[in-house]
Amino acid sequence: MTADALTALLPFIVLSAAAVAVMLAIAIRRSFRLVFWLTVGGLLAGLSTLPHASPVAPLQVTDLLRIDAYGLFFHALFLLSALVVALLCLAYFRRRENENEEIFVLLLTSTLGALLLVSSAHLAMFFLGLEVLTISLFPMIAYSVRASRPLEAGIKYLLLSGLASSFLMFGMALVYGDLGVLSFEQIGAHGAELEQKPLALAGLFLILAAIGFKLSLVPFHLWTPDVYQGAPAPVTAFLATVSKASVFALLLRFFTAAHAERSETFLCVLGLLAVVSILAGNLLALLQVSLKRLLAYSSIAHMGYLLTGFVAAGLLRRDLQTETIAFYLAAYTVTSLAAFGAISALSDDDRESDRLSDYAGLFWRSPWLAAVLTLSLLSLAGIPLTVGFVGKFYVFAVGVQAETWPLVATVVIGSGIGIYYYLRVVLTMIQPAGVGQRVTLHPAAGTALAAAALVILAAGLFPQPLIDAAANVPQPPPTADSP
Amino acid sequence: MILLWLILVPLIGGLLSLPAGRRRDNAPRWLALAALAGETALLLAVFADTVPESTWLAQIDWAWIPRFGIRIHLALDGLSLLLIALTVFLGFVAVLCSWTEIRERPGFFHFNLLWTLAGVIGVFLALDLFLFFFFWEVMLIPMYLLIGIWGHENRAYAAMKFFIFTQVSGLLMLIAILALVFLHYQTTRTLSFDYFELLEADLYPGAARWIMLGFFVAFTVKLPAVPFHTWLPDAHTQAPTGGSVLLAGVLLKTGAYGLLRFVIPLFPGAAQDFAPFAMTLGAVSILYAAKLAFAQTDLKRLIAYTSVSHMGFVLLGAFAGNAQALQGAVMTMLAHGVSAAALFMVAGALQERLHTRDMDAMGGLWTLTPRIGAITLFFSVAALGMPGLGNFVGEFLVLLGSFRVDTVLTAFAALGLILAPVYALYVMQRAFHGPASRHEVRDFGLREMGVMLCLVTATAWMGLHPQSMLAYTDAMMNGLTRTLAQRGT
Amino acid sequence: MSSAGVPHTDLWPLLLYFELVLVVVGTMLALPPFLGERRTRRTPATEQPYESGIVAVGSSQLRFSVRFYLIAIFFVIFDLEAVFIFAWAIAFRESGWPGYIEILIFIGVLVATLVYLWRIGALDWRTPRQRGIEATIHQ
Repeated sequence: MTADALTALLPFIVLSAAAVAVMLAIAIRRSFRLVFWLTVGGLLAGLSTLPHASPVAPLQVTDLLRIDAYGLFFHALFLLSALVVALLCLAYFRRRENENEEIFVLLLTSTLGALLLVSSAHLAMFFLGLEVLTISLFPMIAYSVRASRPLEAGIKYLLLSGLASSFLMFGMALVYGDLGVLSFEQIGAHGAELEQKPLALAGLFLILAAIGFKLSLVPFHLWTPDVYQGAPAPVTAFLATVSKASVFALLLRFFTAAHAERSETFLCVLGLLAVVSILAGNLLALLQVSLKRLLAYSSIAHMGYLLTGFVAAGLLRRDLQTETIAFYLAAYTVTSLAAFGAISALSDDDRESDRLSDYAGLFWRSPWLAAVLTLSLLSLAGIPLTVGFVGKFYVFAVGVQAETWPLVATVVIGSGIGIYYYLRVVLTMIQPAGVGQRVTLHPAAGTALAAAALVILAAGLFPQPLIDAAANVPQPPPTADSP
Repeated sequence: MILLWLILVPLIGGLLSLPAGRRRDNAPRWLALAALAGETALLLAVFADTVPESTWLAQIDWAWIPRFGIRIHLALDGLSLLLIALTVFLGFVAVLCSWTEIRERPGFFHFNLLWTLAGVIGVFLALDLFLFFFFWEVMLIPMYLLIGIWGHENRAYAAMKFFIFTQVSGLLMLIAILALVFLHYQTTRTLSFDYFELLEADLYPGAARWIMLGFFVAFTVKLPAVPFHTWLPDAHTQAPTGGSVLLAGVLLKTGAYGLLRFVIPLFPGAAQDFAPFAMTLGAVSILYAAKLAFAQTDLKRLIAYTSVSHMGFVLLGAFAGNAQALQGAVMTMLAHGVSAAALFMVAGALQERLHTRDMDAMGGLWTLTPRIGAITLFFSVAALGMPGLGNFVGEFLVLLGSFRVDTVLTAFAALGLILAPVYALYVMQRAFHGPASRHEVRDFGLREMGVMLCLVTATAWMGLHPQSMLAYTDAMMNGLTRTLAQRGT
Repeated sequence: MSSAGVPHTDLWPLLLYFELVLVVVGTMLALPPFLGERRTRRTPATEQPYESGIVAVGSSQLRFSVRFYLIAIFFVIFDLEAVFIFAWAIAFRESGWPGYIEILIFIGVLVATLVYLWRIGALDWRTPRQRGIEATIHQ
């Protein structure tokens, strides 16, 4: 193990150390604030190691991990998101005595899992990262253990994740059985003959199914609304952003490394999944009365948009694909953090503000909070001034350039339907005031929301810096077909 | 720089009126007026140092998103100048006519009003297609809030319909823009959204037709022309008076502007092939909307349908493809902007006083409110195309121009001039003549009369001295005609 | 790790095995209704655990303290960690100093976890009520 490798691994080391430190701190003295600050310190320390890791990238550390600019971009994104979620947790769980500190340990370990996932270069690491992420998520989802909804959500997520993991394992076994290799690079070396290897192809499809579970693509989406609704709002924010983005980032890395885009069948399946997800997600979101469920269905649709970009850009150029996905994921992450953050700021451990009627007249009761929520909804709908628009612009741009007209048409239809339910929320918020009382915003939640809203606006007006960050990402996997 | 300030002044004014509204109700109103006065000063500065003949009066061109070759490219020519002048003028009207109507949250109201204006001005100035789309969408949100918060009983439905119609058609335009840009990229290897760059784009006819359709749909939804007009009666009827004034006076003009600025110059060949169809749509809009207008009992709804009818003339003129018809289209846009604004103001004033828009519940108002009656009569007559007033000049020029292209269609369109008096006079008859339905109704006050006299003057000026306006667009329209003649042959 | 992979022709035993599993399970599920006693008439006795006439006493649904499960989980977890340490011990010489450092970190994390569990009282066998009573006695 060289010094370079250690430097490259620093983000992981720091984050793991932070998790252990936070756990020990809880053992020594239970103090919510102290643990919160330790967590923030750990996340910031993790962020501060990224500039050191980037000069040595790209670097293959053992067979398992590959540290490159692509991964580091997502590392930064996830650490920042975890920071926002930590702030939200501080506000959300403040009322609970003596048993609220552990959420930060879980936050750190699940972030670690996400980081491992996006940097993995080997099926074993893929599985390990995914499990670290998922297992930490179970208790996070069921954290408000006295209420029935979170428990139900936790159990559902546990069972369906278990199912997805077994799909994943079986898929990996089939790939290994047919090709005899496990690292992405070596799988990619077989890429050209993939169509002639039915078992490996079946394995890849099983892996895709497992990823589909995590991304809640239709028809693997059934857990999504219940879990989104049941989980405490900050955890939902984490689930919707870091968990999904890390799995999608991995999807890109894995399937481009495996040269799955050369397979017509594969692109067709992905395109089909995208179309179905967009239509079903948007249609099912139409009549929801729970904001969290609505956003859950909208997230299904957004994964469909992403997949559209993935397929279309895959037909064009590899670097464009990376750029599109990285940008869209960053945009989606920031936007979702703002949306779920607003829900979280209105709720606490005792009472979730989940029903749409809880938001009636919010514009007049708490203008800033309503403004942030409106902004994030507009960003989800892809209206200019917001970063979501630039993301959608990317999807359209690659879709038009690749001339995948059916996909582009689906995105247009989906966006049209989407506007209806996003605006329905806005309409509820601008109803005349009178119902409900004024809202007081916890400073931590306020900070988190302000930061997210600022990024949405700034990156919507001047997207170039974010584009640079997303595009400077060199090709994620080593090209196996290079001589 | 002055162009950027044209957009920034209302934006800043809007932001300032938010905190101002919390202190005193009148503060945001005065602030909005001050912002518009600032706009006027800027416009006068532009007017002062330009000669009407030159094509582009002022430009700025900055890098924005280099990754896609997107630039902040703003430019002003005669057409934009006239339309921005109309926008600012109607902005004043909108603020003044909401003075007493809007009592709830005036700060936020004026924020939305000014931001809508800023978006519209941005649309008229932008010469980068991405930037154009950006402003095109940005003006929707404040307009949506105007309708959704301060609208009448069915506001939620109307606001939603308005937004979805324009947004989805806007997405089609975005796809058309992207297709155009990437086709251009394939031949030249430069990625650019710039208007002048794309004017040179060499498209094969099949692609040009589809791309043009994308633009055409977006603009005809906004215009609106017949198959896509259904959002308009709802939005106009439910919007508060200030919102209706802006919608009818300004927002509809962005659609017409798009046709003139983008569809015809960018795709002259395809536009010419498509012209018969587009002109038929225009003629159908004129007749069908006029007939629908006649059937309404809701005053605002009636005026909304007349808007559709008048914008049919614009569509007809824009695709007739000769300088007379094009000038007529511009003239109709300006004159209709003023007259429709005035009529909506009357409707708003009546609603404020009578709490109804139903004409069956009115009647005999002339004796109670002679000033309102006189003003309504004036603008009804203007709308039906009385010679000597602005609308007549526009419609006459359109018909004159399109007669040379398609005689039969023009003859049908001219029937609109017969239907217009029917509905215009019908309003007069039902609302103002007959036995009085009320005892006492407040007539127009000093503020309202002042605004109305300005509108009257503008309409009369346009009718009596149209050349003062047409001179500004002369160069552009001649250029358009030349392009069409070249590509068409 | 063979990079060539397994030829498809060598996979047939696996497939056969897979088929056999299905057949056996299917048989086991399908046959009993035919082989077993036909129950045409249901009596209250049919539902009893012992149809022989012995009346069952009490409910079969006992409630265990959740602490049993907790202890079981701890056992599984720490037992599993021991497997890793065994694996390291076997390759002690080959893994050298880096391996030694790594296993130290591993054990360190385990100890930290144990400290945490001990401190939060997860290893305490008593229920909160018992703890409360004891606290009053010791006062």
